[in-house]
Amino acid sequence: MKVDRIKIINFKCFKGKLNLELNDGLNVLVGDNESGKSTILEAIHLALTGLFNGKYLKYELTQYLFNNEVISEYLTNIENGDMAIPPFILIEVFIKGDDLAHLEGDGNSEKNNACGISLRIAFDEKHQPEYEKLIQSGNIKTLPVEYYDVFWNSFARESITSRSIPIKSALIDSSSHRYQNGSDIYISRIVRDNLEPKEIVEISQAHRTMRDSFMECPTIKAINEKIKLDAKISSKNIELSVELLSKNAWENSLMTYLDEVPFHFVGKGEQCVIKTKLALGHKKSKEANLILLEEPENHLTHSRLNQLINDLKTENQDKQIIVSTHSSFVANKLGLDNLILLNNFKHIQFNDLKPETKIFFEKISGYDTLRLILCNKAILVEGDSDELIVQKAYMKKNNGALPIQNGIDIISVGTSFLRFLEIAEKIEKPVVVLTDNDGDVDALKKKYNNYLGNNKKRYIDICFDETVDGGDLIIGESSFNYNTLEPKILKANNLEKLNTILDVSFKSEDELHKYMKRNKTECALKIFCTTEDINYPDYILSAIE
Amino acid sequence: MNSNKLIIAAAGSGKTTFLINESLKKSANKVLITTYTQANEEEIRKKFIKVNKCIPENIAILTWFSFLLKHGVRPYQGCLFGDDIKGLILVNNQSARYSKEKDIKKHYFTNGRKIYSDKISKFVCICNEKSSGSVVDRLSRIYSHIYIDEAQDLAGYDLELLKLLFKCNSSTLLVGDPRQATYSTNNASKNKKYKKSKIIHFFEDIPNEIEIEIDDTSLAINYRCISDICNLSNKLFPDLQSAKSGNTKTTEHDGVFLVRTQDAEEYLQKFNPVQLQDTKRTEVNCNYKVMNYGESKGLSFKRVLIYPTKPVRDWLKNNHSDLAPTSRAKLYVAITRAEYSVGIVYDFDSNTNIEGVNKYNDEKE
Repeated sequence: MKVDRIKIINFKCFKGKLNLELNDGLNVLVGDNESGKSTILEAIHLALTGLFNGKYLKYELTQYLFNNEVISEYLTNIENGDMAIPPFILIEVFIKGDDLAHLEGDGNSEKNNACGISLRIAFDEKHQPEYEKLIQSGNIKTLPVEYYDVFWNSFARESITSRSIPIKSALIDSSSHRYQNGSDIYISRIVRDNLEPKEIVEISQAHRTMRDSFMECPTIKAINEKIKLDAKISSKNIELSVELLSKNAWENSLMTYLDEVPFHFVGKGEQCVIKTKLALGHKKSKEANLILLEEPENHLTHSRLNQLINDLKTENQDKQIIVSTHSSFVANKLGLDNLILLNNFKHIQFNDLKPETKIFFEKISGYDTLRLILCNKAILVEGDSDELIVQKAYMKKNNGALPIQNGIDIISVGTSFLRFLEIAEKIEKPVVVLTDNDGDVDALKKKYNNYLGNNKKRYIDICFDETVDGGDLIIGESSFNYNTLEPKILKANNLEKLNTILDVSFKSEDELHKYMKRNKTECALKIFCTTEDINYPDYILSAIE
Repeated sequence: MNSNKLIIAAAGSGKTTFLINESLKKSANKVLITTYTQANEEEIRKKFIKVNKCIPENIAILTWFSFLLKHGVRPYQGCLFGDDIKGLILVNNQSARYSKEKDIKKHYFTNGRKIYSDKISKFVCICNEKSSGSVVDRLSRIYSHIYIDEAQDLAGYDLELLKLLFKCNSSTLLVGDPRQATYSTNNASKNKKYKKSKIIHFFEDIPNEIEIEIDDTSLAINYRCISDICNLSNKLFPDLQSAKSGNTKTTEHDGVFLVRTQDAEEYLQKFNPVQLQDTKRTEVNCNYKVMNYGESKGLSFKRVLIYPTKPVRDWLKNNHSDLAPTSRAKLYVAITRAEYSVGIVYDFDSNTNIEGVNKYNDEKE
């Protein structure tokens, strides 16, 4: 039994629809802060347990669950007297597996025959009369959430409870939500989800017996006698006892200990590891377990993290796990296959990419991919020397600030511009490609046809020099390429200036060309370090713009 | 392999107990038990608790209408009606008679979006068709066994749905007694010819490609009524397999007795029978327990005293006289409530002579 796909509409940062397919095993959600990683975990957990921040959502509805923009659109429409339908939140979890026919039906937003559950937070028609009055009064400044309710149904339109959902979700995050007695709600859930019904009955029986023997204890009996005599104010019997009232009394009064230390006194990192391990150990036959792990890197040392990741990789055979992270270490370790990249509340899965692109990124270190995803903007260049020079140009224009300080990452991608652009296009990441024209502008235009002219994407700019330069220098057998970075820099400045910067004294430009070609990186480094005022070719300047 | 079976059970043959025992044997499978009336659904639950202490997890008990709503309407209503359905409304006659069939909202639903009880199974059949069989397919993957108690109550499109169930992968077991067809789930014009006790013809007319076994012998012994009572009840349905009595005990007053109106009080005092009336309008003795024929269905009494209608009196005199199907079924139910004695309020005279029926206080004339 696995979660096949989730759909989130108008929940927190997700305006409109998010449709996310999940792998059967590991899923690694990667994205910058505020990219919606945790919201996805929260949404899944909410739809599978009814819990939000450790409390039943039903009693904790607030307008902050809704996407801000959606609410303000609604309020603006009301203010303008336009038609305004109260917004709703929808979380749908599509499930696949055997023996799930009872969850099948077309009661989902796609109106197709599917298997799963939906949690809808929506205006409750019951309150139509009150709502009408409110609208007429024209005094709506916030979402009238008091007229909302949570509708939690299977796709067969039957209302469900967390008990009747065959997938148990274990959320492991840094928050700690506790029962009144201090025991952590999530660990209690994880422990309870591991128990067979027979064992649960046995625990509550044992708890009852404990209460009975407490009441039979001579000391308690004597005390109760005393209280009875003292309490003359009431004709009713007053006595001390153990609480048995609530349905899950044993859960409230039993606590998880670790080496005789109450669980919540144990370090956060250890808590995280233990919760994860417990959830991994879940072995009930009729139920599946979904582990939601939020940013495990947050409170673990490198070696502890390494160990946790190894556990995740080796012990998860039949478990579905969703890990959110912004650590490239975690992402790389867990495998690029499983990456789901989030940006701007849009997502891209490695499986969505062209097979060649996927293979390409699997081969290279995942680091560069993550750089592209995690930065605000990126400038893609061919090699290290280009990287240095673009940085220098940027600093000049921005009072010495490095591009990375402004969230701009300069990534040298070799010849793989198009592969990076494929990702950038999917996640709508602002990207500038800075490339040489290599003497053939037409070929270049053809190569970037998808990003130029009518096909221009809002987020993607291709910068190159439209002018093709030429000369008669020949190195070895082939003629010199005047259309790479170094000759263009020389063109923007002059022989004398570059001789000074590079600390050389060539007589002719051709000799300098040869030198710069042979010592690319060294020249770039010198340019980067120089205090001389240097001119940059226009296409570089436009890239920095 | 799936199998379909209809067991025609006589009154007092323990059919509900039989269903419960059958379902308890299926501990590895999911079993659905459904029946028309709420009273019978409750009866099934009670008997389960009696036999098994609790209702096992793999067994679902639903009334026919809740079953239709939960598994027939809601899962795939999207192909006919997308809005939230608020529930069911019971109607005795044909609902929204002048609505067009294509106007789903008007034809099937009240303004408050409740589905009309007489059209719910039609809705289910059409839903199943529009969803290319998803409704029945889903159902058959949830429940490997579907048991229907009091199958004689089904009518109209219910019977179309039955045909679909017979064709699906679940095994279907129906038990019922056409003789006790006092209610119908609906009054739709569909399948009118199979109404009430004629439902038996529906099973006989089922096309050959659907296999269904009809068993009218397994549950043909009436353990409740003594032989004389059994014999009288059999006369009401000469075409059906007659029930045999399985009660051989005797008391001081056994058999069927005509009781003159003037003797009713004395008879009541002496034997304390439960009075059974056709309708609330019948004149009875309010000092003693009294019940409608219909209400008494499923119950068992030591003795009864029946207040017959004119057509019933005529039928007693002459078994070939006309008796409407519902009246016939109700009379059958009334007679078969009694274990030892059936009294019938009837002002007989010296010429009255009904086979198998005694005259109470005859010599005192």
